[in-house]
Amino acid sequence: MKTLSPLNSSNPCLLKTHFLKVPIFNPIFKFKPLPHNTHHARIAKVPSFTMNSKLKSSQDINNTGKKSVSQKIVLSETSPPPLAVDKDGINGGSGSESVPVSSKKKGGVSGLAKKLSKKVLQILSNLSLAIGEMFTIAALMALGTVIEQGEAPDFYFKNYPEDHPVLGFFTWRWVLTLGFDHMFTSPVFIGMLALLGASLMACTYTTQIPLVKVSRRWAFLHSAEAIRKQEFSDTLTRASIEDVGTLLMGAGYEVFLKGPCLYAFQGLAGRLAPIGVHISLLLIMVGGTLSAAGSFKGSVTVPQGLNFVVGDVLGPTGFLSTPTEAFNTEIHVNRFYMDYFESGEVSQFHTDLSLLDMDGKEVMRKTISVNDPLRYGGITIYQTDWSISALQILKDNEGPYNLAMAPLQINGDKKLFGTFLPVGDINSPDVKGISMLARDLQSIVLYDKEGKFAGVRRPNSKLPINIDGSEIVILDAIGSSGLDLKTDPGVPTVYAGFGALMLTTCISYLSHSQIWAIQDGTSVIIGGKTNRAKMEFPEEMNRLLDKVPEIVESSSSQQVDTITSG
Amino acid sequence: MIFSTLEHILTHISFSVVSIVISTHLITLLVNEILGFHDLSKNGMIISFFCITGLLITRWILSGHLPFSDLYESFIFLSWGFSIFHIVFCFKKHKNDLSAIIAPSVIFTQGFATLGVLTEIHQSAILVPALQSHWLMMHVSMMIFGYAALLCGSLLSVGILVITFGEVIQILGKRNNLYFLIESFSFVEIQYMNRNERNNVFQKTFFSSSRNYYRSQFIQQLDRWSYRIISLGFLFLTIGILSGAVWANEAWGSYWNWDPKETWAFITWTIFAIYLHTRKNTKFESVNSSIAASPGFLIIWICYLGINLLGIGLHSYGSFTSN
Repeated sequence: MKTLSPLNSSNPCLLKTHFLKVPIFNPIFKFKPLPHNTHHARIAKVPSFTMNSKLKSSQDINNTGKKSVSQKIVLSETSPPPLAVDKDGINGGSGSESVPVSSKKKGGVSGLAKKLSKKVLQILSNLSLAIGEMFTIAALMALGTVIEQGEAPDFYFKNYPEDHPVLGFFTWRWVLTLGFDHMFTSPVFIGMLALLGASLMACTYTTQIPLVKVSRRWAFLHSAEAIRKQEFSDTLTRASIEDVGTLLMGAGYEVFLKGPCLYAFQGLAGRLAPIGVHISLLLIMVGGTLSAAGSFKGSVTVPQGLNFVVGDVLGPTGFLSTPTEAFNTEIHVNRFYMDYFESGEVSQFHTDLSLLDMDGKEVMRKTISVNDPLRYGGITIYQTDWSISALQILKDNEGPYNLAMAPLQINGDKKLFGTFLPVGDINSPDVKGISMLARDLQSIVLYDKEGKFAGVRRPNSKLPINIDGSEIVILDAIGSSGLDLKTDPGVPTVYAGFGALMLTTCISYLSHSQIWAIQDGTSVIIGGKTNRAKMEFPEEMNRLLDKVPEIVESSSSQQVDTITSG
Repeated sequence: MIFSTLEHILTHISFSVVSIVISTHLITLLVNEILGFHDLSKNGMIISFFCITGLLITRWILSGHLPFSDLYESFIFLSWGFSIFHIVFCFKKHKNDLSAIIAPSVIFTQGFATLGVLTEIHQSAILVPALQSHWLMMHVSMMIFGYAALLCGSLLSVGILVITFGEVIQILGKRNNLYFLIESFSFVEIQYMNRNERNNVFQKTFFSSSRNYYRSQFIQQLDRWSYRIISLGFLFLTIGILSGAVWANEAWGSYWNWDPKETWAFITWTIFAIYLHTRKNTKFESVNSSIAASPGFLIIWICYLGINLLGIGLHSYGSFTSN
């Protein structure tokens, strides 16, 4: 998508209606936005061709790349402001003279490296490149969800075979060489992300930050013609500009009044907030990189009553990972228990943990559950899973025996565990026994050696059950807690980025409205524009202007009268 | 017991009211404009809004948790979101141009939720442990509001494309060179002048085809509304994604897992970021950005519904196969 190139549009007969290509406009209409900006108010009377050439010359001298120039210029909200920056700050007319001087100075003093970095910066801050990058990243992500991630190469040999490739060309060679089996850590993807980050930085530096200076600059418009050319304009006969100013102030605008001229604006934050958005995105990227390169992760399933050392469980994720003193902590699982709904399903599971330091002293004790982790010394422990590790039973009053339970079926939180107590000759090849199944720690279902249902027992009831001549008492069902441990140095940065992003995105929804007015005799000519809320602005302005009192000479009191728009 | 009957009644009322509203719009479009219908449709949408609100509240009271736990409830919430946007439009802009897009959206989402595939999930389910968190409220509500707004916006963009390309095809169909040039010139130019300029041009030119003028006015309106509502939706989507990430960090220890649902939400975010950026670049903002926003419609449905259909990843609560 190229922008308007002023000099291509010399011949209006070459109009094309391909909206995706360079639009060829009649140059007269091109400069509609310009009179809005203050400096050009005076230049607006200059014929367009002169304007054209003036602009082009200053652009050319100021920048080394032609194409990226026009794109650089229109990167801001409307085309004019950066031109003002390029030209000068005070007078539009003298702007083009000062610019060549400064750029010549730059060319003379800095070396090749500086020119090169400038060129690179310009290329990177090209908006089309950024859009292309975003699109590529989106496409790669979509591909990453379609192609199975993290499988063994064999899987890809089978599913993307060479003899009849998917879509006619996509074989396992593509998948494995480009790293699509681990798309989100593959060099292609990370490279695109890095490129997008570089573009973000370049764009913020070259375009957004100058925007701060530019958007705060404004000037009065002194001619009624210029005001009438705004997006919204109106004329109030028999009104006074002070009334307009007061009304605008009441509506929340910041009003400046000098003689017969008035300027008011509102919502400037909405123009500056996108800068904040880009900066917070950069912050998130930095934090994410830190997380990816410097954290420790690990998970462990610990039966109730046992302990483990943090350092044994955690493993590094990247080259920046350095262990801390807290890794020597020993964690003891005091108790693992679950809460149930009335229907019998699991509602929450909890683990009572004690943290002991190297001397065996307890430094912390907390019961964690899902959505409620434990934080200590930079390490966070999450409750993520559960299982049943063993059944403690008494057989014919002997024991207690611990029978290890094995998972038979896992479907999210619906799990089935089972164990087996052999009866009779243990060494015979088809040994029979009593099977015990459990879905949770609440109740155990027992089956006899034929496989017939024998009964249900709850562990805390201590009620014996007689199966095939043996008396079984279920003493306890010992659960084990699935814990995930993690240290992540990037989290504070990322959270800061998140918060900033949320806030600045909210603010950038505001619309920056600017209003100019002039008192011309007894009538007031008022005009304005806004950058986002283009639909609501005329209505809001009309409502406001309806409230302006009409000055009637004959009566001493002022009547409030509705003045319809012209 | 009373709550579930109340729920049934409210569902049926809102569904029927919205069907009536859509029928009136169709009649207006196809047959004739009957003046009483405008008020009827406006009131009808307001009634259905209250019905859906009532429905959500009864489900909330009935199940004890916010109505977000599964696909059926989130669909009802989506249709609620659509009706909220419709009401806001009704009151801000006293014409109902956009209800033609929003009203069918309300009814289709609600219809799909109520009839068809999700019948067995009508009973309110319990919340699994991972969903028992305060973040649930913020994350899911923001995401669904975001989806509703972005769906509206992308439908408007599709509308712009349909109208624009209809014009282009019509213009290209005329073989006469001069007429072709002038038509295309006037059509294209008109959009990018402000109101005063437009008046001047039309005083000067003799081919002031008013049809062209009104059509371009309409496109401009659609374009601006689409921009505004997509910006709002983008805001909600951003907050939704970020609150989801923070919640994931609290629950599972990692704020981004490249889960399919997360990834597709990020893809949606990226596509609409592309939309917002294309509006800065060129003066052909309406058409180019509409081209950028139109795939958004499909992508949101893939993100919202497609992933759940497959039932993979951490977001499998909402899948058809999970229960």
